[in-house]
Amino acid sequence: MKITLEEQNDVILLSVSGELDADTCPVFQKEIEPLMERKAAKVEMDLSKLTYISSKALRVLISLMQRLMDSGGSLTVTKVSPSVLDILDMTGLSRSFIKD
Amino acid sequence: MRISPRRAFLLLAAAVGLLIVSLSVFSVYKSRKVSLLNEYENLMEDLQIIADDISSNLDAGDPEYYSFLETTAKVQAEGENFSYLLMDSTGVVISPEFMHGKKLVMKDIRPVETETPAYLAEVWGADCLVLRYHFPDRPLELAGVYDVKYLFADVRYTIASFLLVLALFFGLMLLVFWFFVIPAVERIMARKEQAERELMIAREIQEKALTREFPDDPHCEVSAVLRAMKEVGGDIYRCRLVGRKLYFVVGDVSDKGAAAAFVMFLISSTIHSRVGHGATLAGLMKEINRLLCDNPDYEMFCTLFLGAVDLDTLELEYCNAGHTRTLFDGDFLAQDPQLIVGIDSGFHYHTQRVQLKSGDRILVYTDGVTEARDENRVFFGEKRLRDWMQTRPAAESCAATCEALLDTIARFRGKAPQNDDIAVMCIKIL
Repeated sequence: MKITLEEQNDVILLSVSGELDADTCPVFQKEIEPLMERKAAKVEMDLSKLTYISSKALRVLISLMQRLMDSGGSLTVTKVSPSVLDILDMTGLSRSFIKD
Repeated sequence: MRISPRRAFLLLAAAVGLLIVSLSVFSVYKSRKVSLLNEYENLMEDLQIIADDISSNLDAGDPEYYSFLETTAKVQAEGENFSYLLMDSTGVVISPEFMHGKKLVMKDIRPVETETPAYLAEVWGADCLVLRYHFPDRPLELAGVYDVKYLFADVRYTIASFLLVLALFFGLMLLVFWFFVIPAVERIMARKEQAERELMIAREIQEKALTREFPDDPHCEVSAVLRAMKEVGGDIYRCRLVGRKLYFVVGDVSDKGAAAAFVMFLISSTIHSRVGHGATLAGLMKEINRLLCDNPDYEMFCTLFLGAVDLDTLELEYCNAGHTRTLFDGDFLAQDPQLIVGIDSGFHYHTQRVQLKSGDRILVYTDGVTEARDENRVFFGEKRLRDWMQTRPAAESCAATCEALLDTIARFRGKAPQNDDIAVMCIKIL
């Protein structure tokens, strides 16, 4: 699992590739910890190379989205792989995460 | 009997301390009290004179020879309070009596005036003097003054130094263990005990939340099973027959541990209670959604599949909140994907309906089934599950179907570990 984080024009670009499962989720959580503390941060996620996301990792993403929204920021998924999109659709989270 | 780390360490430290003390006492006991000979040179000269005198005046082999030699040596020795050995040229001890006949093994005899170090020797009863004499053609020879004190002093000093270093090292280890290692071990043990206690509580809660006795009705058969991982998770299943309606729910609370078990119990008992008072499925889903959204401290979300089978009309009404796709009549049920519970308190849930017939089977499960992985990290997946379900004999009981699915998943996984709780509920219309 690989995470890249960069900032461009006040937008934080977060891309995750590989799999977010029980083993890699704690690493992911640690990496995005600083984002949780940022105020009014706009985060865009590229999940096009993410092949699997577990329910625990989803929970982490939802927590991140809620925290960002509470502080005036946002979290959107700009690109997503078909398998992860299927999971987001099934859980009804597509509408929350994905920008039209 | 459980011994705390501190007590165990103290017992060990006491045992080692006792060992060190015993070694010290033993070495002191074994080392000899040897008084210093202050005037070795003078003694050497005196003894050499005696030796020369003896040689010139007495024949070797004469019994008096030995007795004279012994007496003389003893006299010389008495003033300085040391003992002596007499041995012949082959190294056999002549005197004192208690050493008679013993072979003295000496690698070297160190003259007292030299600085050469003492070699290890078996000298028993003798402190410092060794006279050696030869027959008859050679004069009596003073082999030297072997100061056993040096030997034992060296050995004693060596032993003493070693024990001192050992004691210091032991003391240092004691401090390190007492102030650092033991507290760390105690912290780890306390955390482990707390985790075990939490696991026990969570398991008890989970026990109470799941249906154990399934309704017995001539029109339907229900069974469900849960295979939990070591850590208690948040999978739910529950069913209840209220009048002619069979209500059931299968769900998956995110997170693990006692907190998840508590939320699972809350949801499960809310559903169980409300269905008995005529609650609608959409209303129930709304209530549970509010329950989780209004308590942000839980920070938990939940997928839920709520269903109600009217056993008279055989209509299934269901409401899905982000749950896995239910299998029905050999294929997937048309489920509108609605938001998982606990995200948006204002989300509006709706229900769907489908007509059942005799022989239909419904399989509701949690993602521990489809997301089970084998040793090559391949998922079990929905397609494999659907295909598997299509092979089940029509006459198979629901309980058998559930168990068979668990076995199939276990065989599929092989040596790969179970990565999530698995809950399966099977309902058959008779």
